[in-house]
Amino acid sequence: MSISSRAVLLSLGAAGLLVVASAQAADAPVSAAQAANMAVNCFSCHGPEGRSPGSIPSLQQLTAVNIVALMKDFRSGKRPSTVMGRHAKGYTDAEVEALAGYIAGLKK
Amino acid sequence: MSNFSRRSFIKIAGAAGAATALGSLAYAPRARAAGGHVVVIGGGFGGASCAKYLRRADSGIKVTLIEKQKEFITCPFSNLVLGGLKQMDDITHKFDTLQKKYGVDVVHDTVTEIDPAGKSVKLKSGKSIKYDRLVVSPGISLKWGSIEGYDEKAAEIMPHAWKAGAQTVLLRKQLEAMKDGGVVVMASPPNPFRCPPGPYERASMIAHYLKKHKPKSKILILDAKDKFSKQGLFQAGWQQHYPGMIEWVAGAKGGVVKAVDTKKMIVDALDKHKADVANVIPAQAAGKIAIKAGLADDKGWCPVDPKTFESQKHPGIHVIGDASIAGAMPKSGFAASSQGKICAAAIVAMMRGKTIADVSYVNTCYSIVAPKHGISVAAVYRVTDKGIVAVQGAGGVSPADAPAAFREEEYKYTYGWYDSITADIWG
Ligand SMILES: Cc1cc2nc3c(=O)[nH]c(=O)nc-3n(C[C@H](O)[C@H](O)[C@H](O)COP(=O)(O)OP(=O)(O)OC[C@H]3O[C@@H](n4cnc5c(N)ncnc54)[C@H](O)[C@@H]3O)c2cc1C
Ligand code: HEC
Repeated sequence: MSISSRAVLLSLGAAGLLVVASAQAADAPVSAAQAANMAVNCFSCHGPEGRSPGSIPSLQQLTAVNIVALMKDFRSGKRPSTVMGRHAKGYTDAEVEALAGYIAGLKK
Repeated sequence: MSNFSRRSFIKIAGAAGAATALGSLAYAPRARAAGGHVVVIGGGFGGASCAKYLRRADSGIKVTLIEKQKEFITCPFSNLVLGGLKQMDDITHKFDTLQKKYGVDVVHDTVTEIDPAGKSVKLKSGKSIKYDRLVVSPGISLKWGSIEGYDEKAAEIMPHAWKAGAQTVLLRKQLEAMKDGGVVVMASPPNPFRCPPGPYERASMIAHYLKKHKPKSKILILDAKDKFSKQGLFQAGWQQHYPGMIEWVAGAKGGVVKAVDTKKMIVDALDKHKADVANVIPAQAAGKIAIKAGLADDKGWCPVDPKTFESQKHPGIHVIGDASIAGAMPKSGFAASSQGKICAAAIVAMMRGKTIADVSYVNTCYSIVAPKHGISVAAVYRVTDKGIVAVQGAGGVSPADAPAAFREEEYKYTYGWYDSITADIWG
């Protein structure tokens, strides 16, 4: 199975658990290729495919739901951070959800 | 509890589904392009990232990486070598993984000519290589002569150490040989230049070494500029760790270096400064091969399309990294790598005849002021009609009033960043 269809299935699983709808209406839809273009930039700190060899936490073990929740909490400041707050503010809700789906769908 | 919404899920799933049907997912690993050969010049932060991500996206594309050096020594953390926190081995990387794991054809040679019309490059060894698309990531060239008396020969006496390797080792040896009470004079270059916080991290790391081994010594930074990256954080850090040791002279206050005299060890700005060790970082331009190939403008940097990094001078050629004009992005290894990845996705789409997806770039420059004291500046970038711009409300520098524990965390994460980005590129 390709990465893409796995990511979609994982996202589907994640979304299936949830009922709250809060994505900003203004958010433009995010294509899979666009999600990839955002997510690959995370690897410079979180390691190749989100597997960190050093002191920054890995993303590899996280589900899409986890990543979305963490990103939103970094953005709001609810979860204190050194640098993630500054990064998370760079993405809309729809973008966070799309890139989380991409990362969670990578080969484990 | 997360807010993953059904509506946006449907949007994502819809988009992904459509993309899959079209076979246009940039990262679908086993999808094959119609073939095609991409040649990448330079195995540094930009070029090696691009080569790897091309193959990661599409193993049907043949990728040849041409790099003149057998091993790559990173400028990032070379200041830590000067400070004694790292050794040269720690910052030296091999090309084996790119070759073996990702199937990049790594050729150690120097590109001497680019023929945009004939779509080929000529190598020092005499060989020519044809390409369908070319990626140029040669880094910088130093503008010899921008400071009177400062040329390649002078750099053997007054090292720039702005390309890591022998120059780094030379500067470190000079610091080791210097007497206690000596003066290190640094000349910091005009904008734009590679690594905006670099000279000030370097001053910090030299100060760390001197404080430990030669505490009566001084560092004088003569700057062509009137302000610099993370200035408040650096100056507060210097006050805290190295009080009275580092003096910074702004361009408007006599900091602009006009000439050097390597025999008398004089760095000549508004006043003549006698140096025991002189670290002269001259003005810069795109790597030589980019200029020779006509990819640069009259200021010496290469104009590109902000979404694909395709040259505005020669279609079919992409210029990434320090050599490119990338809007609000600084000339950093992080930025070069981000550009390399996005450029790879664009090339894959172009070779498959698909539309180019919207892009996003990231940069973070970590700097070490002292052990347990790290600082950073971050940004996320998008493309608008003004080119590459930073997302408003995101990014920025570490807080000025952060407690010591925060600085220590960022110190730790600076190492984490280095481990991750080097693993992502060469690991
Ligand atoms: C002291 C210092 C500290 C720095 N610290 C940081 C940091 O902490 N974080 C950060 O993000 N950035 C940092 N940087 C900046 C970073 O080093 C550069 O921005 C980055 O290397 C740019 O990548 P590039 O691909 O454009 O060029 P490079 O990484 O320099 O790669 C260019 C490669 O091309 C090769 N090449 C050139 N011409 C040819 C040719 N004709 N044929 C074959 N090969 C060729 C060269 O040998 C070289 O290997 C620092 C820089 C300095 C000087
Ligand atoms: C400049 C380096 C850097 C970049 C770029 C970066 N991160 Fe992080 N990330 C960190 C650090 C450091 C932490 C630890 C929290 C902190 O202090 O900021 C972290 C923490 C996280 C966590 C929490 C992990 C956990 O288990 O606690 C998530 C999720 C995360 N990042 C996601 C992302 C995503 C998604 C991206 C890309 C959009 C990204 N990060 C880009 C450095 C980075």
